Amino acid sequence: MAVVGAPPGQREDTASVTGHVKLTRTRGLPLSSNIYQPRAISDRGGPSPEIKSVVVYLKRATFRGTLPVAKTAIRQEREEFVPRVAAITRGSTVEFPNADPIFHNVFSFSGAATFDLGRFPKGQSRSTVFPKAGLVKVYCHIHSHMSASILVLDHPYFTIPDLDGSFTLPGVPPGIHTVVGWHERVGERSATIDVQPGRTTSLELVLPVEDIAK
Amino acid sequence: MKLSSQPPRLVVKTLGVTFVTTALLLAVTFVVVIVSVGDQVRAGVAANLEASQRMFAAIESRERRERQAQAATVAENPTLKAAIDTYAAEYAAESRSADNGVREQLVNTMTGELAKVAARIEVDAVVVVDVDQRALAAAGPLAERWPLGRSVALVPAASGSDAFDGVVHVDQEAFSIVSVPLVLGDGSRIGALNLATSLDRRYAQRLGELARANTVIMANGLVVASTLDRDLERHIESLAPVLSKGEGTIELNKERHAFRRLVQVGDTSFYALASIDDSARGAITAMSRTLLWIGIGAMAFALLASIWLANLLAKPIGRLSTSLGAMALSRQFGARLPLTGSSRELDALTATFNDLMASVSAAEAQTEAAYMGAIRALATALDARDPYTAGHSERVSVLSVSIGRVLKLSADDLEVVRLGALLHDIGKIGVPDEVLRKPTALTVEEVDVIKLHPALGARILRAVPFLSRHIPIVELHHERPDGRGYPHGLQGDDIPLAARIVHVADAYDAITSARAYRKARSSPEALSELWRCSGTEFHAEIVGALTTALSFAPAAEPALPEAMSA
Repeated sequence: MAVVGAPPGQREDTASVTGHVKLTRTRGLPLSSNIYQPRAISDRGGPSPEIKSVVVYLKRATFRGTLPVAKTAIRQEREEFVPRVAAITRGSTVEFPNADPIFHNVFSFSGAATFDLGRFPKGQSRSTVFPKAGLVKVYCHIHSHMSASILVLDHPYFTIPDLDGSFTLPGVPPGIHTVVGWHERVGERSATIDVQPGRTTSLELVLPVEDIAK
Repeated sequence: MKLSSQPPRLVVKTLGVTFVTTALLLAVTFVVVIVSVGDQVRAGVAANLEASQRMFAAIESRERRERQAQAATVAENPTLKAAIDTYAAEYAAESRSADNGVREQLVNTMTGELAKVAARIEVDAVVVVDVDQRALAAAGPLAERWPLGRSVALVPAASGSDAFDGVVHVDQEAFSIVSVPLVLGDGSRIGALNLATSLDRRYAQRLGELARANTVIMANGLVVASTLDRDLERHIESLAPVLSKGEGTIELNKERHAFRRLVQVGDTSFYALASIDDSARGAITAMSRTLLWIGIGAMAFALLASIWLANLLAKPIGRLSTSLGAMALSRQFGARLPLTGSSRELDALTATFNDLMASVSAAEAQTEAAYMGAIRALATALDARDPYTAGHSERVSVLSVSIGRVLKLSADDLEVVRLGALLHDIGKIGVPDEVLRKPTALTVEEVDVIKLHPALGARILRAVPFLSRHIPIVELHHERPDGRGYPHGLQGDDIPLAARIVHVADAYDAITSARAYRKARSSPEALSELWRCSGTEFHAEIVGALTTALSFAPAAEPALPEAMSA
């Protein structure tokens, strides 16, 4: 979910960057055969839209002033982290409510945040603050197939596209910027734009996403 | 009957023939058996290799499933998965975190998890690789062979292969790989867990023990590992194109080997090699030993059989030969040889011989009769020169044979006596008629002329070869035991028996015959005269024999019956 609204303290001479993210399907390498199928849940509630695993943000942008913080949630639902990808500003808090009737765990080995929130049953929730920018990979120690990615950024110029792929980055300071479309598996595709004050800049990002949601 | 250069004995020939036949038969049997043993052994070795191939496939297939089960369990290790996925994220995010300490810890975490696994699974190395086949962490006995961070290509097995998922070549070594993917819940593949088994000499030996054959593992025409020594490995590499056919035979170490590809995984092939000659050697040795004993038995049997056969043939021939020898010795040509009854051919020969001898005997009898007639005619003609001596030779002959019978002479000797006596005065041919027929007493010169007749008779007979045995009678029938006879003056036993007999018979017939100058005297008178002169003029035992002969046939005098003239 796009959780970051219009940043407060935005200067007047800013502009919006709008665009569209297009996911193309590529033929991935065939998986090596495995007669022992990995553990998976048969009654998963349909695949999460791949577009929700994409974050659009400005690379190496700086933000002057107090960085707004927010609180967001990644649910543990049907042995999955939902959503699988989140983007937050540094110092924000993420909650992990357990919606399954089984125990879950949340831990991370990532350099940006290393933690283990322990095991907790349905109805309970754990939360943690991300004080350092970077990519944080989150797993459940009980269910090895569960994973989520949290992108912690030093600025508020990021968003997660709508289901149709369109996005808007408001309040971008003028200048030359690198807009990045990042997908947790594919990596990033970038475009350089020149942002003029008061004008909206449009661009399209194409991400070759493997047909992984089968 | 002995010849200077004798042909071989019959037994030698039969032995030769049986031995050669038996030896040929054995040699042919030997060759046939050896060839057939060779074929059977080749087929047997090939069948063994095929069985080894199936067994290898079965064992490796089971091991692979076990490994995959183990690997699949390990692949669900959340720590391992989190570590490898986080590592990939950290690595991909350029130097976002730039924290090498984190990476190191992630690698340590993975290595720690793998070490726990490696301690429980019988593999040479447990390796986690990322999606680019880069080894991130490894554990196990041969873990240090895997260069971390380097991408190592996995040569995948053809689909459907039962043995492994693929082969990895690291530097000079090769590893068979069982691989399971590491997958997250969204289906994304974050890497793979490889269980590696080193394809080294130890592995080849284990394989060789299972296959009970030499094994060779080859990749791209080069030997990766084998149970052979280095020289043979070099040689095998030169035969790679032949081996690539999958099965067949090759020459290795001067022996024929059957080979078979056990399995092919990617570029790597596993071959089993078994020496045909080595297997055949044992079978052929055993077979040869059996054949040797059979050969010895057959030769011994052939020896006995040929001796028996030779005897079967030679014995009747020997019997026949002995009979013939006896016949020749006794000159009993009239006798028929007994049939041996051993074979039709030999009996036919005997019968033919008998027929021949019968006709020869008949011819001989005819000839004998003819020359007896001629001699008798000659003797008669001689006697006829003087009326007083007419029939004298004939009578002396008959009388001499009678004496000979009493003295138990052989039939042969009697024949000699008969003919000799008939001819005893043949030398008188050279005595003139006036001396021979002179009715008055002879002068000393005339007596000397008369006395020449035995020597003259002998000279005449010497010209006739078949009368040679009769010469002593003619020549010596006037010799006396006291040595006062003529022509040689022999004494006693020096005078042949036949001559003594004819001497006595001659004297008896002379006394009992009339002469121009005296009358004939009676038989008793003659005998008493002879007895009186016995020991000096006549041999006493001959006179005795004459007496006996005359007592058996007193009527035989003075002219003996015609019975003897036949």
